[in-house]
Amino acid sequence: MDVRRFQKRKAIGRSVIATAVVVILVVVGVGAYYVFVPGQGAGTQTTTPTSTQSTSGAAGTLSLTFANVPNADPAKGSDEASSAALANLYDSLVFPTSSGTIQKDLATSWTVSSDGLTYTFTIRSGVTFHNSDALTASDVVYSLNRFISVGQGYSYLFSPYVSTVSAPNSNTVVIQLKKTFGPFLSALVRLYVVDQKLVSSHYNSTAPNNDYGSTWLLTNDAGSGPYQMSSANLESNMVIKAYSNYWNGTQPYQPQTVNMIGSSDSSTVHALFTSGQIQITDQWQPYSNVLALSQLKEAKLVTIPTVNEFYLMIDTTKAPTDDIYVRQAMSYAFNYSSVINNIFPGSKPSAGPVPTALPGHNPSIPASSQNLALAQQAIQKSKYYGKLTNYPVTYWWVTQVPSEQKMALEFASDMQKIGVTVNVVGQPWLTVVANLAAESTSPNVVSITDGASYFEAGSVLQSRYTTPSEGTWEQNEWLHNSTLDNMIFSALSTLDQTQRFQQYNTIQQQIYNQYPTVYAFDVYEARAYYPTVVNWYAANGHPIVLLGYDFYFRDFQFYPSQLTALFG
Amino acid sequence: MKSWTFAVKRLAYSGVSLLGLSILIFVIARVLPGDPARLALGPRAPQSVVEALRLQLHLNDPVYTQYFYWLRGIFTGDWGIALFTQRNVLIDVSDFLPATIELILFAAIIDLVIAVPLGLAAGRRANSIVDNGVRVLSYVGIAVPSFVVAILLQLFLGYGTHLFPLIGRISQNVVPPTQITGLYTLDALLTGNPGAFADSVWHLILPAFALALGPIAQEARIMRSSVVENLDKDFTLSEVSHGLPERTITFKYLMKPSLIPTITIYALDISAQIANAFLIETIFIWPGFSKYGLNAMLSKDLNAIVAVVMVAGVMFVIANILVDLVVGYLDPRIRLQRRTEE
Repeated sequence: MDVRRFQKRKAIGRSVIATAVVVILVVVGVGAYYVFVPGQGAGTQTTTPTSTQSTSGAAGTLSLTFANVPNADPAKGSDEASSAALANLYDSLVFPTSSGTIQKDLATSWTVSSDGLTYTFTIRSGVTFHNSDALTASDVVYSLNRFISVGQGYSYLFSPYVSTVSAPNSNTVVIQLKKTFGPFLSALVRLYVVDQKLVSSHYNSTAPNNDYGSTWLLTNDAGSGPYQMSSANLESNMVIKAYSNYWNGTQPYQPQTVNMIGSSDSSTVHALFTSGQIQITDQWQPYSNVLALSQLKEAKLVTIPTVNEFYLMIDTTKAPTDDIYVRQAMSYAFNYSSVINNIFPGSKPSAGPVPTALPGHNPSIPASSQNLALAQQAIQKSKYYGKLTNYPVTYWWVTQVPSEQKMALEFASDMQKIGVTVNVVGQPWLTVVANLAAESTSPNVVSITDGASYFEAGSVLQSRYTTPSEGTWEQNEWLHNSTLDNMIFSALSTLDQTQRFQQYNTIQQQIYNQYPTVYAFDVYEARAYYPTVVNWYAANGHPIVLLGYDFYFRDFQFYPSQLTALFG
Repeated sequence: MKSWTFAVKRLAYSGVSLLGLSILIFVIARVLPGDPARLALGPRAPQSVVEALRLQLHLNDPVYTQYFYWLRGIFTGDWGIALFTQRNVLIDVSDFLPATIELILFAAIIDLVIAVPLGLAAGRRANSIVDNGVRVLSYVGIAVPSFVVAILLQLFLGYGTHLFPLIGRISQNVVPPTQITGLYTLDALLTGNPGAFADSVWHLILPAFALALGPIAQEARIMRSSVVENLDKDFTLSEVSHGLPERTITFKYLMKPSLIPTITIYALDISAQIANAFLIETIFIWPGFSKYGLNAMLSKDLNAIVAVVMVAGVMFVIANILVDLVVGYLDPRIRLQRRTEE
């Protein structure tokens, strides 16, 4: 290659580089102008966002984190984020209150037949869905039938009981039950009414059963609630905005837009809260993180009661925990206050199998506390006493929750004091679920949180201690107790609430006397929030402890100006 | 052998590899503990509904029958239902993959722009202050995990100085560009939306840099070693003895052969990010495919797991073929060797 050609190519190369640099500088400059200069930019808007993958905070938007992005199909969503989204996007026939009762919502009145099998509801007139379709009784009928057909989420509350549902006219719904179900009205808070016409028009004809419009409902809504879906990305967040034509009106300070971010990563939540980009943290943060955040200027720590309880579920069929005295000794030997004070601060002592915040809890059952003298007395009565070293106890904790390991070690240390050897094993959640499916593969003890789906003790008693729940992660006790089953199902079928609660009390006492479980603590959600920015009823001592209902945003008071004053 | 014939041959071989990979991951996913149908529906779902889902997913059939259904579905667009999102896996892939591709592409650009000059400078001035500085940087980059870098960047450049956004792909008050490719930056350029383009780039910088730092460190070291090795080669000594300027030797004759091992590792690093980016995506709440894969694993979402692994496999295959083509371009001896084989 001659020198001239080489120099020519070199010159061309330099020109290309120079051009590229200029182009990059121009693009970056224009971009920076659009991004950093307020009020500029073709892509900037000041109205409610309509993006589909926007996550970063915007002024005037209440933002908070959850463990995951909500599943907004009313027939499928049942975790905390989904329950919160559904409570805002949809209306139900009745609505829960902070006092543990229900009030009218879409149903303006109802009657119950004397045999407790026929419920007749009058549906509120003038209610419109978010697309302006009128809500009628046939939408309620469709929603309940769809719910039962899909068979997921909270549908288990209705499928064993509902026989037929009909709409004799446009504002009357009649639900016929197969058998009586005392808490039926309480359970109806989970029946969210969808727009039949809209959902039907989004059936997927290639999917089994047309998928009942489920795929479409993941990222769209068909409700009449105080908020409507603005955007949803199943991997990042859901944005909802206030529905201006809500039948019950709008509140003066309710947030106009809410960003429900699906992330509980500690460092991310820390950075977001510290910079004011979220105003309420999720309940899954390590306590140390929440405590640190609550010490920021204008921030506050709040612990909110839940209807969840942390159980150490004891297998009553395996040696040595098949012996009631071993189980009793374990219950007395466990250092509850150490766990509550050092490992799960903010939580409160449990008192028996039902969370204390749940209506129907038996108040005569004492709060769990350590008593080593009684533990020693109990263990000495055990048939395994003197040979306990031959019967080590296997204890499983769920590796996805690191704090559980500390509790497991506390348990092992406490049991040493009564001569019980504990093998602590961390197991992934999937392994726990798989092994709890069979009696032969389940451990002596496993630590799991569980709670109520509706406002009554019966919800927990049924899911935790009846034979049908054996083989699921909700029961490791393997009680095989048909008498107890009959008592629980009899209570659930009792219509009179006073009588039903009396039966719940008896059942709780009976379970408590058998020591099938170490009732570790009642779960309280510890969160950090900015009280001057968000006036939140749950933090002000009026929580609606039913999952999701602490986030009924219409009853929030949100002050964006305070947020601006704090963070600029 | 011409390049395109070579590429076609490699594609055919890769097809066999992917088939083997699909069988392997299909079987492994199914021996994980737990009933995926029960896990998806929860403990309270009626057994009849669980059984219906098992039938829908063909879980009651032998594994080879399940595999046949899956393989048939791959070619008909039915990739099965993802239990995590409750919709066709293909929809999930098309929804989440572009976000990760965009992130990886930006990381790849940052990687290339930084690693090659660093390696070149260090190799050209071996054992100098520059070389030692690059060495220290490389050790730090290799030793510090990407998620730590991500957190530090988020805290210092996102939270501390407010220079960059903490999370997400685009600001909430910016309308995303009309979807064409799913890559916001590209779509913004194609639709003439400079605001969205700038905002997307602004959101990309921290996660892409966090993702790129490890590969930068590794490739800078490889480039440096390669340059040092080539400096002692006859062709370099000959160029020096002919009095060619140092810059010409470096950029025209030394860089090209030195790039060959670097490019090979570079391509593997970049293609591996599709499966490794989940921590970065989690920290920056980036709605991407890697995080989707993590969720699929945690919820034993069989169809999603297989899809994620297969997509990662395809990325590796494409990257390897591209590397072979690029290396062939950089090194004429390899091209000649292929022709001889033909």
